[in-house]
Amino acid sequence: MIDRSTAPAPEKSLLFNLPEVKELELANGIKLFFVRKEKLPIIYTDVLVLAGSKFDPQNKRGLGYLTSLLIDEGAGEYDSLQLSDEFEKLGSIFSVTSNHDLISMTLLSMKENFNRSLDLLSKIILTPRFEETDFLREKKKVLDRILQLKDEPSFIASTVFEKILFGETFYAYPEIGYEDTVNEISNNDVKKFYHDIFTAANSKFIVVGNLTEEEAVEQFNKYLGGWNGSPKTSVAFEMPKRNPTKFFFVHKENSAQSEIRVGHIAKKRDAADYIPTRIMNTILGGQFSSRINHNLREEKGFTYGASSVYQYYQNAGSFEVSTAVNIENTGASVSEIIKELEGIRKNISPEEIEFAKSYLIKQFPSRFETYSQVAKNIEQLLIHNLSVNELADYTAKIEAASNEEISKSALENVFPDELVVVAVGDREKVSAQLKDVSGNNAVEVDNSGNVLN
Amino acid sequence: MTKNLLKIDYEKYSLANGLQVILYPDQSFPLVAVNVWYRVGSANEKPGKTGFAHLFEHMMFQGSQNIPKEGHFRYVQEAGGSLNGSTSIDRTNYFETVPANYFELPLWLESDRMGFMIPGLTQEKLDNQKDVVMNERRQHYENQPYGLAWEKLFSNLFSSDHPYSWPTIGWMEDIAKFDLGDVKEFFNTYYCPNNATLVVGGNFNVPKTKDLIEKYFGSIPKGNTPPEVKTSRQYLSQTKKIILEDNVQLSRIYLAYHTEKAFSANDAALDILSDILTSSKNARLQKSLVFEKQIVQDISSFQYSAKLDGSFIIVSTAKPGIELEVIKKEIEDEITNLISNGITDDELMRAKNSLKSSYIYSLQKLDLIVDHLNHYNYFLNEPDSFVFDLSRYENVTKEEVVEAAKKYLLNHHVELNVIPKN
Repeated sequence: MIDRSTAPAPEKSLLFNLPEVKELELANGIKLFFVRKEKLPIIYTDVLVLAGSKFDPQNKRGLGYLTSLLIDEGAGEYDSLQLSDEFEKLGSIFSVTSNHDLISMTLLSMKENFNRSLDLLSKIILTPRFEETDFLREKKKVLDRILQLKDEPSFIASTVFEKILFGETFYAYPEIGYEDTVNEISNNDVKKFYHDIFTAANSKFIVVGNLTEEEAVEQFNKYLGGWNGSPKTSVAFEMPKRNPTKFFFVHKENSAQSEIRVGHIAKKRDAADYIPTRIMNTILGGQFSSRINHNLREEKGFTYGASSVYQYYQNAGSFEVSTAVNIENTGASVSEIIKELEGIRKNISPEEIEFAKSYLIKQFPSRFETYSQVAKNIEQLLIHNLSVNELADYTAKIEAASNEEISKSALENVFPDELVVVAVGDREKVSAQLKDVSGNNAVEVDNSGNVLN
Repeated sequence: MTKNLLKIDYEKYSLANGLQVILYPDQSFPLVAVNVWYRVGSANEKPGKTGFAHLFEHMMFQGSQNIPKEGHFRYVQEAGGSLNGSTSIDRTNYFETVPANYFELPLWLESDRMGFMIPGLTQEKLDNQKDVVMNERRQHYENQPYGLAWEKLFSNLFSSDHPYSWPTIGWMEDIAKFDLGDVKEFFNTYYCPNNATLVVGGNFNVPKTKDLIEKYFGSIPKGNTPPEVKTSRQYLSQTKKIILEDNVQLSRIYLAYHTEKAFSANDAALDILSDILTSSKNARLQKSLVFEKQIVQDISSFQYSAKLDGSFIIVSTAKPGIELEVIKKEIEDEITNLISNGITDDELMRAKNSLKSSYIYSLQKLDLIVDHLNHYNYFLNEPDSFVFDLSRYENVTKEEVVEAAKKYLLNHHVELNVIPKN
């Protein structure tokens, strides 16, 4: 008979070689971060342009996003459809994503089609067409998407939360913009954004794949080594203050659930206590076995899932608890979340810390399995202007964080008296429940976070 | 070269109790992935008891004789691994990916719930997970724009006694009714080793792992052979049009046609047909409706093929002010045009090239590979079917694509219109 009563012990510790990241430079001075990964004949490229919607003019919110949609609508000798066709013939996958801080263009290609795919990528970067017909079509698509987003409670909850949190700063505005601000955008605005902000000086390249360092430098120099132009840009930012806790709600008629966001302004990614804070949040709400998910899901059954995250923007940070709960438990859920935020400040057990450290340290190798994972690990550091050497130090720093530092990080990064609480749900059900929790009337706001009377 | 990469070296055998085992050693990365498929899904349920396969999947994370509630998560996460389960119409799977030195842990966890799940059951746990699942349903269906469309579509495409007519998550009123007796009966009927396949992939020692699999799973008693799902092929006797009002700004049209089950004669041609219709900017419906005429916000299509049957689905969201009838007519015209005039070499090549590279890209992730081995084993009884699967697509001719469209997309179908309330 076997003993099933205890978990089997692991074998000797794991042999994992962290991929070596080489920091290279192209002829035009752009940094190229290179990782050789040989398992498959594929190459993943990430062009990181620090040119996000934070650069949008106040009356033209949505400009950076629209630019990111238009960047691959035709380039060089190819119109929009031809360009897409060229990638498909190669079996290469090109995609663009963007947020407040950046536009990122990624390319996954077979090694045999890499040079040709990079050639196409360079045309997108260097010679986008920005034709009027494409502009009008994509702009209309954005406006209709904004209309559709009125139906999505989770988008509304996050948008309203960020609007209230970030006040008048650029992180307060949804990247997609608003109907009236997108209406203001012209094709010339897009071209100007491309010319002034989407520049070589704001960019970094990452390549992970089955090629040599020399091949990478040669090909990037060949296709993108001549990219030059406007200087590096920046835009002023003043970190908003935290305020005493305040409750808000958005009316959504007959909703089956309420979408809840609870949180506050937090430190930036480069804070000295980033590591202890990460360990602390792992315990609080950063994974399935966390306190918040255990309480709201596994004990109370209020939700399918609940989590907390420290969100790191380039210029700011935020702390955000998210969940969707059946509407009758809106107030109870908010109370429980606040209770957990108070609780983490009072006591963290050594067992919890041991668990969280083990989780973070031992899962580290799995973050380097795919080509895009490797690139995204590097990208995260570059966004925050951190050295790629951070990867090599990461697990040792987790190991070294003391119980005192971790407990202290809760006191210095969780503020249960300075919360923004947002619930999106039916007014009839939500507003009374929120009042029971806070003692005051919750403020009703619209889909964009503007206060209603 | 592609063929060599896609060739999987594996070993397949069965334990005395009928558990199928597939071993796929790959030393390239220090991870081990364990993936168990039980040959039971929502198609095994009965009307009035829908959603049970999925609820049961939740209960499998609530502990067993030697594992406490939430223990699966705690053990695997502490080891730095990841885990989950999923339920489809045809099967339920459970999977863990762990650092290679923890390879024994998932075997212990999976064997405990395969053999000793019932002693861990309590009413409290069941009540809790019923609440969780009802909230899962609210979050993904009731409280989502267009969230109720899919169940409306399939409950009209298939008659109410067909096992594909109800949603995998189940009807809300059915979820609320389940009791502990249902859990025990379901476990005893379907969760026996002879109804499961265990795949272990990644960086592990083969002889040692074989010994451990025998040690953990070998003593679990064989169960009775579970009953087969019986059903007959269905055809609509007329086209149905259904209108559903929802909290949406833009109207959306869904068209559903009966087709063929997975890996049947026209299955690959129908996949390629969907690529040619909607998978890229240059695809016919994308180009015509999104790019040129600009009467829809988005359009997509797919051949949804499963064990017992298949369907071809087209979904499109109307631009403001555009009638769904207009969109339907455009779609039908494009299909008629494709059938009358055929497709081009370029269209076929584009579809095939994208598919070919997507197979290579999919080899990056061990958990996807091992799940695919189970998938192929389930449908084809041959885990190493990547090459075969790709060749199904490479062998499709222009004529076969047109024939598949002609055979199925001119027939009676279900049209669902989701329109704004009021």
